[in-house]
Amino acid sequence: MRTATPELVTPAEFVRRRRRTTELGLLVLAGLIIGGAYALASLGRNSSLPADVGLFLMGIFGLVVAAHLAVRRFAPAADALFLPLAALLNGLGYVFISRLDTDLAAKQLGWTLVGIGLFVLTLAVVRDIRVLQRYRYTFGLIGFVLLVLPLVPGIGRNINGSRIWVAIGPVSFQPGEFAKIALAIFFAGYLMDRRELLGTATFRVGPFNVPHPRYFGPVLLAWGLSLVVMIFQKDLGSALLFFVLFVVMLWAATGRASYLVAGGVLFGAGAFASWGAFSHVQTRVSVWLDPWADPSGKGYQIIQSAYALAWGGTTGTGIGLGISGRIPYQETDFIFAIIGEELGLLGATVVLCTFLLLAGSGLRVARVAGETFEGLLAIGLTTLLAVQAFIIVAGVTRLLPLTGVTLPFVSYGGSSLVANYVLLALLVRISATVDQRPPRPVSG
Amino acid sequence: MNKRVRTLGVVIMCLYAALFVKLNLVQVFQAESLNDRPDNTRSLQRDFNRPRGDIVTSDGAVVATSEARRAALRYQRVYPKAELYAHTTGFFSFTLGSAGVERTYNDELSGRTPSLRLRELTGLFQEDSSAGTVVLTLQDKVQSVARQALAGRTGSVVAVDPRDGSVLAMYSNPTYDPNAVSNNDAAAARRTKDLLDASPEKPLLARSYQDRFFPGSTFKIVTAAAGLTSGKVTETAPSYPVVTSYTPPLTTRPIRNFGNKPCGGTLFVIFDRSCNSSFAQMASEQLGPEPMVAAARSAGFDKVPPIDLTRPVASTYPTDFGPVVRTSPDGVPIHADTPRLAQTAIGQNDVAATPLQMALVAAGVANGGSVMRPHVMAEVRAADGAVVDKYAAGEWTRFVTPEVADVLRRAMLSDVAQGTATGLQLSGADVGAKTGTAQLGTEPPTSHAWMVAFAGPTGQPASVAVAVLIERVPGASDQTGGRVAGPVARAVIQAALGRS
Repeated sequence: MRTATPELVTPAEFVRRRRRTTELGLLVLAGLIIGGAYALASLGRNSSLPADVGLFLMGIFGLVVAAHLAVRRFAPAADALFLPLAALLNGLGYVFISRLDTDLAAKQLGWTLVGIGLFVLTLAVVRDIRVLQRYRYTFGLIGFVLLVLPLVPGIGRNINGSRIWVAIGPVSFQPGEFAKIALAIFFAGYLMDRRELLGTATFRVGPFNVPHPRYFGPVLLAWGLSLVVMIFQKDLGSALLFFVLFVVMLWAATGRASYLVAGGVLFGAGAFASWGAFSHVQTRVSVWLDPWADPSGKGYQIIQSAYALAWGGTTGTGIGLGISGRIPYQETDFIFAIIGEELGLLGATVVLCTFLLLAGSGLRVARVAGETFEGLLAIGLTTLLAVQAFIIVAGVTRLLPLTGVTLPFVSYGGSSLVANYVLLALLVRISATVDQRPPRPVSG
Repeated sequence: MNKRVRTLGVVIMCLYAALFVKLNLVQVFQAESLNDRPDNTRSLQRDFNRPRGDIVTSDGAVVATSEARRAALRYQRVYPKAELYAHTTGFFSFTLGSAGVERTYNDELSGRTPSLRLRELTGLFQEDSSAGTVVLTLQDKVQSVARQALAGRTGSVVAVDPRDGSVLAMYSNPTYDPNAVSNNDAAAARRTKDLLDASPEKPLLARSYQDRFFPGSTFKIVTAAAGLTSGKVTETAPSYPVVTSYTPPLTTRPIRNFGNKPCGGTLFVIFDRSCNSSFAQMASEQLGPEPMVAAARSAGFDKVPPIDLTRPVASTYPTDFGPVVRTSPDGVPIHADTPRLAQTAIGQNDVAATPLQMALVAAGVANGGSVMRPHVMAEVRAADGAVVDKYAAGEWTRFVTPEVADVLRRAMLSDVAQGTATGLQLSGADVGAKTGTAQLGTEPPTSHAWMVAFAGPTGQPASVAVAVLIERVPGASDQTGGRVAGPVARAVIQAALGRS
């Protein structure tokens, strides 16, 4: 044992090794939970243990250990929680997808491989997070292009009423999932440049001191961009996500609450206007208010979701023992309802807590990073993850009107899963970067 | 920036806390009401994807079972006896819901009661079903005889055990085949249901406990009970005048005896001969509304019988007879509606009873005045045959005191010995009865033919009480009830006493 001779390692090195050991332990734990859930799902459906449970466990451990070794190699000082939490969500999602549709599960397994591959690749390529800051405008452009790509005639595809797909040859994907990461990088870089200017209030509008309208340009641009997404792509969830991302990052960079107010007002106005102008927005709202007005039509999905959750109760029916096949998009947008049915309030709460822990880890990294590009980026990425999960769970539980986005790591969907692994790799990279600096006094 | 990060953290926590609260609302606090919503077919779908318990008669005939099918719904409910038990088992349809025992004992049949679940837990990972078998109190031999004796005529037969309220047979015509309504082929089931709903005969309606009829003279048991309970009528006094008709106060329309025969005398005589004049006079001038209403209530009228089936209806007896106009020579208040009261005393006008209720009146007389809760479930058995639940018998309503019951019992025995119900005489058995011929006022005359009776081996408590109703039979003489309904009652009693 190398650690048996502590005089040979620095304190920092000691902490790193302990972190990696913790990570490995947590990964094994997550693997065991996923393997157990997989076996239970099979027991629930066929009253027999799956023939491939050993293979399945080995596969899981193979994947997580590969990711773990990559972290050990490329980001040894990284936070120990990110990877195990994401693995738990990914594995749990896989178990439920395989319980619902074995064909989709096979594809999801492929996407998981790609996702972890890109996770490793990102860690390997992005050795210094600040390199990204240098290419902020490039990322801005990439983000913008990705965002509007589905609107390009010929390659854009209308699927399920939303124009968020792009098909090039045999490959089809949702560029929006990657656009949000590119835009987060762009915002972080741009805002670090301009935060002094944006944070200076020189202009009075009513009771508020606001920055000069010239510096308001980016806010309006982001607002316009999210309106484009909302109107032309009919993707309310992503529009909300982009806008929240930008407003939160703007506020985090400048500390000016007036941006939050202005952002809220703008979004409210945009939402109200689109509610008045578009029938699909009105439908979402009326279904949210009273799904039972049209129980077998527009309200069907949300009603079946409520029935699934209620059927699960506190402890759930058990994996594989619920009644599936009732909720349209149960493998993607509505997978949380299936989890709630089969694992009950307890299981659903575990999923929520996992996202909270992920968000907490992200924010801890942001706090240590302080007022830097990577700190701002960590805030942006964490916000993306936490708010996206919130938006879809709130929609599924009818806390808010339903706006279809995926549940990160859990839902079926290649673009979403792969993009979230890249996002995770960036967070891991930032956590490893900030740790290598000398600790600074923590102050408000 | 630290502060902002912390603020952001707090905001995210609040958002997730809101989700947690909402989840609690949906999954815990509103769960039951969501599960019970009529458009929520989750529990039903689960029930159709696993075997459901059988329904069997107390003598072992399977009347409902589940057969595995290779289809979207993995089990099809099947009723081997077709229409014979339709009004007891009800049906079990994926699209049309359920009725009867299928509905009232759904938790037992689908294995959802705590005791059945506990058994399932001990056998975890086994394919063994937790579904319980519901054993009925009905006996296949009595039920079959009831159908055979009714011979396709429109009417009902109800037989109960007076001692514990067990329903031994309950059959009514027209009926329907629950197999067709329970068909997992939704379109076929719907077509059948539409046809049944459209039929003027209302085959889905169980006439035995979901429909009401004039009880006619069988209601005189209740009138006699009112007289005896009030103390104003005894076995020996008064002796009612022998007349062909009686005209109540405040009206000029007489109530005639059957065939305009002169009729009258003491209680047993007027009971045996079913004198309309005497019972009408008893109710209107000797008793008044209050004792009559009280007696009807005690017998179970105006209360929905607590039978373990879907949508039983209450038998009805009017409660309002208008303001008091004057007082009779006996000191009884004469109400504006006393003429109506006089008619109710002989089971006409506003009195309406289910055949079940009339069987329970006879049962109450035979059981010392106590009417037991009627029920069709005897016990519930688990898959391994162990009894997990037994129906706990108990009194539903106290009809009369044991003393009054004894007088009524002897009056009914006398009716069989020498009155209108002599057709029920059986050697080696004590049989008491009351006939009824509820005139429907049609031309040519038609009537509901009734027979209510109890019977038991000689010298022993009665073990069966029956009510037989045959609807709209031609003729309306005092013999109609006994002649038409009597043989059916006799056959059912013989079967119930094991003498067929």
